[in-house]
Amino acid sequence: MANISCTDIVKAYGAHPVIDGLNLEIPDHQFVVFLGPSGCGKSTMLRMIAGLEDVTGGTIEISDEDVTTLPPGERDVAMVFQSYALYPHMSVADNITFGLRRQSVARDEIDRRLNHVAGLLGLEPFLDRKPKNLSGGQQQRVAMARAMIKTPKVFLFDEPLSNLDAKLREKLRTEIRKIHLSLKTTTIFVTHDQLEAMTIADSIVLMQSGRIEQIGTPDEIFERPASRFVADFIGTPAMNFLQAKISVDPEGLLATAGEIALRLSPEMFPSLKDGSDVELGLRPSRMDLCEPDATNALTGHVVLVENMGSEGQIITEMDGQEISFVTKEFRRLQPGQTVHFAIHPEHIHVFDPKTGKSLRSPDETL
Amino acid sequence: MTRKPFAALSLAPAIALLAMLAIVSVGGAIWLALMNRTLRSPDAEFVGAYNFLRLLRDRRFFNALEISVIWELFTVAGTILLAVTLAILIFETVKKPIWRNLLCFAFLVPVLLPRVAAAFIWRFLYSPSLGVINYLLGLVGIGPVEFLADPSLALVSVAVVDIWQWGLFFTVILLKLLETLPRDPIEAAMLDNARTWEIHAYVTLPMLKGPIISLVLVKAVESLRSFDLIFVMTGGGPGTATETLDLYAYQMGINMGGRISYASAMSILLLVVTTIAFTIIWKAGRRWAN
Repeated sequence: MANISCTDIVKAYGAHPVIDGLNLEIPDHQFVVFLGPSGCGKSTMLRMIAGLEDVTGGTIEISDEDVTTLPPGERDVAMVFQSYALYPHMSVADNITFGLRRQSVARDEIDRRLNHVAGLLGLEPFLDRKPKNLSGGQQQRVAMARAMIKTPKVFLFDEPLSNLDAKLREKLRTEIRKIHLSLKTTTIFVTHDQLEAMTIADSIVLMQSGRIEQIGTPDEIFERPASRFVADFIGTPAMNFLQAKISVDPEGLLATAGEIALRLSPEMFPSLKDGSDVELGLRPSRMDLCEPDATNALTGHVVLVENMGSEGQIITEMDGQEISFVTKEFRRLQPGQTVHFAIHPEHIHVFDPKTGKSLRSPDETL
Repeated sequence: MTRKPFAALSLAPAIALLAMLAIVSVGGAIWLALMNRTLRSPDAEFVGAYNFLRLLRDRRFFNALEISVIWELFTVAGTILLAVTLAILIFETVKKPIWRNLLCFAFLVPVLLPRVAAAFIWRFLYSPSLGVINYLLGLVGIGPVEFLADPSLALVSVAVVDIWQWGLFFTVILLKLLETLPRDPIEAAMLDNARTWEIHAYVTLPMLKGPIISLVLVKAVESLRSFDLIFVMTGGGPGTATETLDLYAYQMGINMGGRISYASAMSILLLVVTTIAFTIIWKAGRRWAN
């Protein structure tokens, strides 16, 4: 069990820094997900914590012990790779116990632990097989067993589910979560899949271009994105963005973009002034069909209806822009139809068009 | 024309040529082995298995067989051991691509040298009076050592040249093979507390088992053809200390006495033994690699 702290981490390839002065605290027992687009530095961060990548500057501590220059084997961490990274010529049992055998753990202790993790992950029937005779899901279970048997201080997962099909991914995701609930080992999980991150994480570290864009619980990240980037990255279908102008009237704040006019909550955005330019963020899942005269009603023509099973995404065109929303009533809508839909003022996000930062007051509670 | 006859027809000239070369020479050798032909006289008569039976009573033949087996084992093992050791050493210590490539280039030079040239270079290096090796040994008060004239050292000294040529070449091949291995299992082993030598002993080399077996076989076949190297360096001497089967066959058939039939019998025996031995080794290697 361990907390992890990264201080002023710099990683440079040649003169070009890919991570520049990153600070991060991960408390004990947490399940943290590093989320971000390809090349944002999330895997590099994970590999630096594992010791597989040199740190150009800064320090990494695990359980308050400086491990910055320790070799990977001495950091007491276990890692699960995207490619599974099994030893191809060894049987499943040998793969799982390789680390323990290197540490000269007693044979019967190894057997006891092997039986325990094999039972936990349902690998008993495969212990004598070679990895190539296993399916992708089974191979990834072996990789997890190999990590678990060491009872490390920290689990590191580097996109472990990316090579699996959707159904299996969901199943293993649940298993990983359950294992964490019972072992409570501090875990870092890297993914570029926001849905995976939302479902599995205690806390999400959203990264972009080597910087941390926002750290928060899945709810915080979803409901209170700190920037336009976070808002855009999280949530399916993706958020709608509109350039708008603010006007202050007796009823409060009004954002107008062409024919579109939306009421904003003045408590949430006390800093907004008359005439300021902003970028509005409207989550499709926070909008639904409404009466034409409802508050914040928008009127558009249906361009496309996307069936997602229990609900549908409606892509509409209004005032030259495409705006989508989600509704359960999608089956009665047809392209070309005129629809009215609305968003509650509390669910509108407002961003500074220059910095991309959220203009929501930090004092205001969720 | 359909595919099959076309393929057969295209292959026919090459196969015919190869068959002619192989059948004529092997057939000729078998024919000679059954006669008592010598270079001294034009007459010869059929003697059946006489030459083969005589071989079984020829102590020099068994000495040559023993030397051949020792030569084979020593050069193959030496080459592979040197290549594995150097390749891992370079893989672990030389990280800059430019230095690696320069080393690889340097390591390729010996095998590019003609055997005879390599043999002469090393004869000078080994020379008791002029050689740089003996000069260096002299500096620390050893020697002069008669590398090629001492019966207990001669075979090893020649083998060193063969290992120098092929071991360095195989180092380059193995280094490139190591570079093609996926990084992940190596990193997983690092996280599994494996020391560097353990990573190679338990992870990388087992992953390269197939290619290494192929290299062993290639080298084993190559080691059979070391006539030129041994001939130039020692001529089979001192005495018969470095006389392998092909050297003995040459001595018998061409150099001394010109007993062509006897030498042919020896060659045929060598052909049969190596074919059987290599088939067994190849099959065993295959099974082991899988």
